[in-house]
Amino acid sequence: MAPDAVALRRPFPVGTRGLVLLGLFGAGVWALCALDLGLGQLVPGSGGLLVAQRFFGRALSPAVDWEGAFVPPGAPAFLVDALEAAWTTIVVAAAAMGLSLVLGLGLGFLASTAWWADEPARGRSGWRGLLRRFVAPALYGAVRILIGCMRSVHELLWAVLFLAAIGFNPLTAVLAIAIPFGGTLAKVFGEMVDEAPRDTARAMRAAGAAPLQVYFFGLVPRALPDMTAYAFYRFECAVRSAAIMGFFGIATLGSRIQQSFLATNYGEVWTYLYLTFLLVAVLDLWSGALRRRVVA
Amino acid sequence: MTTHERLVEDLYRRRPRSRFVRLSAAALVVLAIGAWFVGDFPVADLLSNASGEHLSDFAERVVPQPVRGRAFDGGVVLAWAGDLMRTKGWTAAGRTFAISLAAILLAALAGLVLCLPAARTFATPEPFLPGASAPGRLTRLAWTVVRVGVRTFLVFLRSIPEDVWAFLLFGILGANAWPAVLALALHNAGILGKLGAEVVENLPPAPLRALRGLGARRTQVAAAGVFPAALPRFLLYFFYRWETCVREATVLGMLGILSLGTWITDARHRLHYDELVFWILVGAAIVLVGDLLSTILRGAVRRAS
Repeated sequence: MAPDAVALRRPFPVGTRGLVLLGLFGAGVWALCALDLGLGQLVPGSGGLLVAQRFFGRALSPAVDWEGAFVPPGAPAFLVDALEAAWTTIVVAAAAMGLSLVLGLGLGFLASTAWWADEPARGRSGWRGLLRRFVAPALYGAVRILIGCMRSVHELLWAVLFLAAIGFNPLTAVLAIAIPFGGTLAKVFGEMVDEAPRDTARAMRAAGAAPLQVYFFGLVPRALPDMTAYAFYRFECAVRSAAIMGFFGIATLGSRIQQSFLATNYGEVWTYLYLTFLLVAVLDLWSGALRRRVVA
Repeated sequence: MTTHERLVEDLYRRRPRSRFVRLSAAALVVLAIGAWFVGDFPVADLLSNASGEHLSDFAERVVPQPVRGRAFDGGVVLAWAGDLMRTKGWTAAGRTFAISLAAILLAALAGLVLCLPAARTFATPEPFLPGASAPGRLTRLAWTVVRVGVRTFLVFLRSIPEDVWAFLLFGILGANAWPAVLALALHNAGILGKLGAEVVENLPPAPLRALRGLGARRTQVAAAGVFPAALPRFLLYFFYRWETCVREATVLGMLGILSLGTWITDARHRLHYDELVFWILVGAAIVLVGDLLSTILRGAVRRAS
């Protein structure tokens, strides 16, 4: 064998990336088998086909007026009603955002390490040292677990829980969204502050600032633009979740989509879908512009 | 003014700030507080007697059925939970994972295709080598239309929540797993397509420009330059979205597609709140396992690249 051939010999033909890709392929095959997914099922039955035709046929001609034969007397014009549903969606999302921002900022502080972990060795005695060495880490661990629990239960499952425990109304919808969102915000906010540039913090500490002063005036302001951009992204998600909560009966876009689809008023469904799209698209553009501003 | 003070003054003037960011933050705060005054939220009802009664009723039913009304026995509760898992739980958990996997793989395939025409560097008359030729105004316009069209389509896909897609598709495709899989796939294709387009736009340009300069066609640059270079980031986003898919898959069963959500709805309708809470905890466990797996795999991908 020529020496060149040895030099050119490749390592094992598949690297880590290749293994991951192969694994994904295998997982996909397993999933298709586990779910008995056949391509045949993708072709709707005759009833489904009719629904599909009539539904997608209205994609480009959304309704501008009530479509049902019966319109309850005193009902507002269709578009006014649709805008009302959109407004309710925004209000529920914003209220949930308010609550989860409070939760996120409060728990986010406890879920960050910057205000106790990288303090220098000075002041290791007395109650401050005790606080820093034992109380703060314990609190950090406990809050991390709490955040994990809040986040890992889906907002719709929180909604089901509230529905069972105290009944469902706009307020419980807000709580159902705010709990998992608060957990997510806390996790991300805490990590953003921990990853903020430390130059200011170091300078302040050298000048004799107390740990909390360093945290709130040296670290949080550095992370604030990032946090704003992320909060906007979560607001976008909150709007989607608020729309979904309509499936449980509050007057957001989800309830209208459900009612109109079941009543086979497909044009109305498309109007609601496009309204959801508009709401989300505006927030998406806004948060995109924010992120560009932050990066620049 | 001493030099010192002037320096501080200078630093203060050059502090990073943006009116847009500050106005946006203010708008968010105003909205978040204002909503509580505008909206009709029955805060008083929450603390009323009726909801207290409701709650105590719930608290009674939430105690696992075999130990309700008698002394708590850990062994009995464990046997009860084990039985639930054997009869329903493991299958439902497996199907939940399967739904999330099938959906995210479909979404990734769609995202791979859609990210190219949505990327500013690719959807131009001269991909990766601007200024190589002087394209006509019409060609430029055509590419802009394609790019804006694909981007709008992606926003539309992701702006409609998964559950709405699932509800609509359920009405069309009937009771099998496809509505859940397709719903998750549609929503996530919108997200992965957008994130993918950003990855493509931020790739180091030199290798792509070189390929193009050597005469590679658009598709050849994509196959030989874009995809290999973008794969690690694609995989990171893929796993990050998979976590969300697992979360969503636990609830999509509520529509009647057999997964964890089915048993949650079932327990709610039978007022078996002990089972309801048990299934919700199983759902949380599934999500945590998914997060853990995804974190491990993302770490592996990051180390390999």
